[in-house]
Amino acid sequence: MGRVVGIDLGTTFSLIAYMDPQTGTPKCIPGPGGSTLCPSVVSVDGDGKIIVGDAARQRLLTQPDRTIYSVKRLMGRGVADVQSELKIFPFRIDPDGDNVIRVRLGERTFTPPEISAYILRELKSWAEKYFNEPVDRAVITVPAYFNDAQRQATKDAGRLAGLEVLRLVNEPTAAALAYGLHKQKRGHVAVYDFGGGTFDISILKLISTTEGDIYQVLATNGDTHLGGDDIDNALLDLARREIQAKFGMELDPRGEAIQTLRKSLIRAKHELSTAEKTAIHFPLDGRGTYVREIRRAEFEELIQPIVARTMTPVKLAMADAKLAVKQIDEVVLVGGSTRIPLVRKTVGDYFERAPHCELDPDEVVALGAAVQADILETGVKTMLLLDVTPLSLGIETMGGVVAKIIPRNSTIPASAQELFTTGVENQTAIDVHVLQGERELAKDCRSLARFQLKTPPGPAGLARIEVKFLIDANGILQVAARDMRTSEQHTVEVQPSYGISDTDIERMLEESIEYAEQDFADRQLIEARTEGETIIAATVKALAQPRAREISADEHRVIMESEAKLRTAMLGKDYTLIRNRIDELNKATEHLAEVLMNGALQTAFEGKRLDDV
Amino acid sequence: MSISQPQKKRAEGVPVASCWNCKGAVSGAHFCAACGKIQPLPSGWDYFRFFGLPQKLTIDPAELEGQFHILSWKLHPDNFVRAGEFERNLSLERSSELNDAYRTLREPISRVEYLLEHLGVRKEGTTKQQAPPELLEEVFELNESLDELREARAGGGDVAGLRERLDAAAANFQEKLAEVDAELERIGREWDSAVDGYADESMRSALLAKLNEVLNRRSYIRNLVAGVQKELAEA
Repeated sequence: MGRVVGIDLGTTFSLIAYMDPQTGTPKCIPGPGGSTLCPSVVSVDGDGKIIVGDAARQRLLTQPDRTIYSVKRLMGRGVADVQSELKIFPFRIDPDGDNVIRVRLGERTFTPPEISAYILRELKSWAEKYFNEPVDRAVITVPAYFNDAQRQATKDAGRLAGLEVLRLVNEPTAAALAYGLHKQKRGHVAVYDFGGGTFDISILKLISTTEGDIYQVLATNGDTHLGGDDIDNALLDLARREIQAKFGMELDPRGEAIQTLRKSLIRAKHELSTAEKTAIHFPLDGRGTYVREIRRAEFEELIQPIVARTMTPVKLAMADAKLAVKQIDEVVLVGGSTRIPLVRKTVGDYFERAPHCELDPDEVVALGAAVQADILETGVKTMLLLDVTPLSLGIETMGGVVAKIIPRNSTIPASAQELFTTGVENQTAIDVHVLQGERELAKDCRSLARFQLKTPPGPAGLARIEVKFLIDANGILQVAARDMRTSEQHTVEVQPSYGISDTDIERMLEESIEYAEQDFADRQLIEARTEGETIIAATVKALAQPRAREISADEHRVIMESEAKLRTAMLGKDYTLIRNRIDELNKATEHLAEVLMNGALQTAFEGKRLDDV
Repeated sequence: MSISQPQKKRAEGVPVASCWNCKGAVSGAHFCAACGKIQPLPSGWDYFRFFGLPQKLTIDPAELEGQFHILSWKLHPDNFVRAGEFERNLSLERSSELNDAYRTLREPISRVEYLLEHLGVRKEGTTKQQAPPELLEEVFELNESLDELREARAGGGDVAGLRERLDAAAANFQEKLAEVDAELERIGREWDSAVDGYADESMRSALLAKLNEVLNRRSYIRNLVAGVQKELAEA
């Protein structure tokens, strides 16, 4: 078995972390560029190769029709649900007959879980490279306010990426875990998580028991479509209107220019977190330059309505937790958008205390996920998370009214049993419609599934079928049915209301394994060749040093031979051969490196290896 | 969501008598005393028994919470990630039952409702929507005021004046709600002494019927207050 990790699959950035056994603390793993943040951007090149992360983000400007960002907004949703998103985001959805979202990137289409799986696989490869060991199990975080379908889609993405998803953990809960480790505080904690695309608020109670610490979520609320993206869009909207008014130019919402503009506006947004004013210069090919100074006061006025929208969920969560503001002992900020001074001020004003922001708001969720992953993996429980289901679960009854069977903010796992019977004589099937949401009518709630309970014909009311609805520790619903008269288990045929069927998943899984092998080989080859280039360059440089003459002619010959062999291997596609040749050359140059190290250049070389020279 | 089949048939009404693993004697305990394995939930158990409590209505919330935390620590699926599917399912069953039981018992109202449903006095989710006789007159007046308010809103009448009257009516019913809650608590204590004193069936039935009647009255008044508040919010 391989390693286990914690992953924060974010709207804008994703991170991967692990529990460092030496220090006993969680740590984020950096990617090849040195940063622990992997932009949640996926691009497909002309050969159908998948590019993820920073390189993909570059391609947002050059290949916008082959690149997608913020795919998390599409997870677990149907085509009909995302019409408003399509107006703002350059998603190209295939106008297919069914309600399953298929995003077009170049020649192929992808479902949102497939795209998310590419991001997960990229992170997985970062970790595998870091450990030099396979990674096959993970705890993945989701917004606390994600519904069943969004959670299922995230789990599917994990599966498609070749990861066994040990648990889905709510992002604010993971943050609280990382925070609690850091501070060892007890009492009531509010976690305000304002990320790239989602907003969550969770109210937790931290309890010490004789066994260990318990992190009990009392209430959670949020908005799965409220985040930094909305702030970017507000800025973008302003800029577009001004460009239209001043230059009479309408920017193509799917074009390259708009992406460049978005990028500079995001930079401006970041700068306004510390500076009082900033400016953007945006050249409009040949028609002048849109120059705009933005003061913080104006920025705050612009985003005030967006920030204010976060406070409704906050108040609802506090009411559900049955707590007064004064009873909150600490406020923790999570997510990049909490760097905005207005956000900090709004939160601080409401809770009447300065929010806690010592932890990196970008990393804290992944760190918490790593802690939970470690607990599940080692079986050594030092703490326990008791999370809740964010939305009420209900079934449709007469007249389209929803009967709530598991109320929101119930600790999970949670269950409810319902007895179903026939209403008319010789009825052979009972329709069951499962929904999630707080509204009274079925049409206003999120439809999770419909299924039929089959029953032999008989008088009305004779059939007695007990259905058990169970929300597991991941927040995902399971349904089991039993005939009360015969005690027989019952066949339940599910018609998922929307989303991807199990057969689709199986097919994608097969495809992804094929691609994964290809992708893996490609990546290994590229990495081996790059490393080969580096060591050859270092060798050439080393041999040119005057002190290199101190090595014997024999040694010199062996080095030259090894180098030639490596060059030949690098022309081929066998990455293991390249790796072996690299090792050989490294061995052949060991003495040379020593000689150089011991020489006059010793100080300059201190602590460096030959290939670092 | 995923659809699964119940993995194991339970023997109706018969508590599991021996451990599935070591065959040692178990009588509903969460874990086998001999081998420590988690046990299936015996059928016919109720939420009170799950917590090792008698079927009484006065419960110390802090004590219940403490028990909830201790049991959560032991039963949570986190403990069974590496166990076999059978044990994982038992943990899911027990921990969901724990959470359901805690959710129900911690609130005094849902606690009474549950007891009545469990003892067959009350059908789940049903309440008589009839006005209690002693409230008939006040309810009648309230409904009239509500009608007037709707008319005033549509026709531009004296909304402010009506609002004042309705606010007063809502406050009056809110007071009644507090009275009903106190009554419920009092009968609850009577029930508890009846349980402690091994009172006979007829006395118990009478108390349960009384509890049910008060609960219905409570639900009626609560709906009334909620209705007025909704109308006022819209006006």
